[in-house]
Amino acid sequence: MKTQSSITAENRKKESIQHKAFVPLVMALMVFIVFSVGCSVSIGQVPISLKETFQILLYKSSGMKFGSLEGLSQASFADIIWHIRLPRALMSMLVGIGLSLCGAVMQASVQNPLADPYILGISSGGALGATFAILLGFGIPGALGQLGVAAWAFAGAFGAAILVMVIAGMGGKITSVKLVLTGMVINALCNAFSNFIVYFANNAEGIKTVTFWTMGSIASATWEKLPLTAISIGIAVVFFLTQFRVLNTMLLGSEAAVTLGISLNRYLRIYMLVSALVTGIIVSSCGTIGFVGLIIPHIVRGVVGTDHKRLIPASALFGAVFLIWADVFARTLIHQSELPIGIITSIIGAPMFLYMLMKKGYGFGGK
Amino acid sequence: MDLQAKNMIVTLSNTEIVKDISIKVKDKQFVGLIGPNGCGKSTLLKSIYKVIKPRQGSIYLGDLDVVKSEPKSVSRVMGVVGQFNDLSFDFTVQEMVLMGRTPYKKFMEGDSEEDYKIVRDALEQVSLSGYENRSYLTLSGGEKQRVILARALAQQPSFLVMDEPTNHLDIKYQLQILSIVKGMHVGTLAALHDLELAAEYCDYLYVMKQGKVVSHGTPEEVLTTQLIGEVYDVECEIYTNPITGELGIAYLQVPFHQ
Repeated sequence: MKTQSSITAENRKKESIQHKAFVPLVMALMVFIVFSVGCSVSIGQVPISLKETFQILLYKSSGMKFGSLEGLSQASFADIIWHIRLPRALMSMLVGIGLSLCGAVMQASVQNPLADPYILGISSGGALGATFAILLGFGIPGALGQLGVAAWAFAGAFGAAILVMVIAGMGGKITSVKLVLTGMVINALCNAFSNFIVYFANNAEGIKTVTFWTMGSIASATWEKLPLTAISIGIAVVFFLTQFRVLNTMLLGSEAAVTLGISLNRYLRIYMLVSALVTGIIVSSCGTIGFVGLIIPHIVRGVVGTDHKRLIPASALFGAVFLIWADVFARTLIHQSELPIGIITSIIGAPMFLYMLMKKGYGFGGK
Repeated sequence: MDLQAKNMIVTLSNTEIVKDISIKVKDKQFVGLIGPNGCGKSTLLKSIYKVIKPRQGSIYLGDLDVVKSEPKSVSRVMGVVGQFNDLSFDFTVQEMVLMGRTPYKKFMEGDSEEDYKIVRDALEQVSLSGYENRSYLTLSGGEKQRVILARALAQQPSFLVMDEPTNHLDIKYQLQILSIVKGMHVGTLAALHDLELAAEYCDYLYVMKQGKVVSHGTPEEVLTTQLIGEVYDVECEIYTNPITGELGIAYLQVPFHQ
């Protein structure tokens, strides 16, 4: 048995991590993100030294005012870094932020530790849209074709989310149980339609594309795609940073929340809509990247506690770090080949999750 | 602040649970709501604390129209200790109690030193000082209930609504919780199931059966052998406890049903 003093000491330690060390933690994570982006663009099939990477980044990001590209071992390095790897690293960062943020928000919204950003049917809705576009010949050749898939995927993802919200909201109040179950049903339905299309498609190449799409990839990231993702995720981050009080009371259940002056249903709809938009945009450009939105909030909760004032920023930052490195592994783990990032996030994420399950300190909401 | 609920009708999925009830709680009065399981106590309380919208009837807390007002303005005067307080995510005790300050917070407003002081005082009142950083889910039932009470205290309410606040608690904590509330000297409406405790702590009782108030008055007026027999279907004798001088109830037996 623990003595009272050891419990208090432990508490104090816990508190100091959760409160006093929070600002340094956030700053450290920010610095680490910058460092990770730097590493990410220098690591790859063509290794480029950190020094050269820094030289190129400084030159390009300063609008070619500072430094120069002289002295590079290969002139193509500048293009590899600036046009291929940097947008990709930034996209990983944004996707990591977006998925972790939405994961934390969805877990609070449905008061369920199993929730993730895809709980509203977004992943399978997006997959259905993509399958539709890839296999049923909405493929316009070239770059426009890619855009078509993204647009269809977004329509599928967002459509599924709206459908779930409308069905769960029928007959009055949205309850978390209704939401989770409706999400499951719509997921199954969309999967069935996707499989139906795949089953009758006589298009091996297309089926392969669909399979890859559902595993997620950041390979298609370009400078042109970044602004939309950056702006939508940026707005969502700022919005949810202001919502910590409501998110906290959400976890008490709708009844307790009302007695504290907050009618949850109004907020619930707004939160789900914002989450669905952000996740839909991510899914449309990167496919479904599993596990991130589920585990990152749990891991972060284990460190900073449940209070959303700390959980939201810390989740977003940690998610960014996680996905930047997951993308690095996806690109480099197998020589001369690239793995879908969804495989990596699950391979890293599942053991981490298991470790947390076995460790006693964090109960995943259970007791 | 006094509470006046008039002609309340509350329906749940088309079944009338509360049938035309009027109750009144005078300023600083401790009023108990008693009655068998399923008689509509919780439903009535829920409509008073705005979780269920009554189909008919008015509720006034002082001058405040509870039915029409925003939850936020109601939560500044009314604290609630509800029945189900299990969480799916853990909070520390301090975070839980601090949430009692939510009604006073503007958009993006942080927690002030004053809020922390109110939280400290509330925890002290329920004798949980030093528990600030314990995790809520690891607490015992009695401690959890006292945390919820502290959260309601942190709302600095002038009226308290409690739904079976002593449920599942050891006798010590039952007495403790009721004494704390009694000592606050704010108007209180509490659903209670222990009749002796109700008699001891309440100034006034409303007795409900099948959605209706069948009797009301001081505990001595209301708690009679005949009424308990009618409402609870249990035979008993009422006596004056020779040691405490309080009203005592000796339950005899559950009558045999043909």
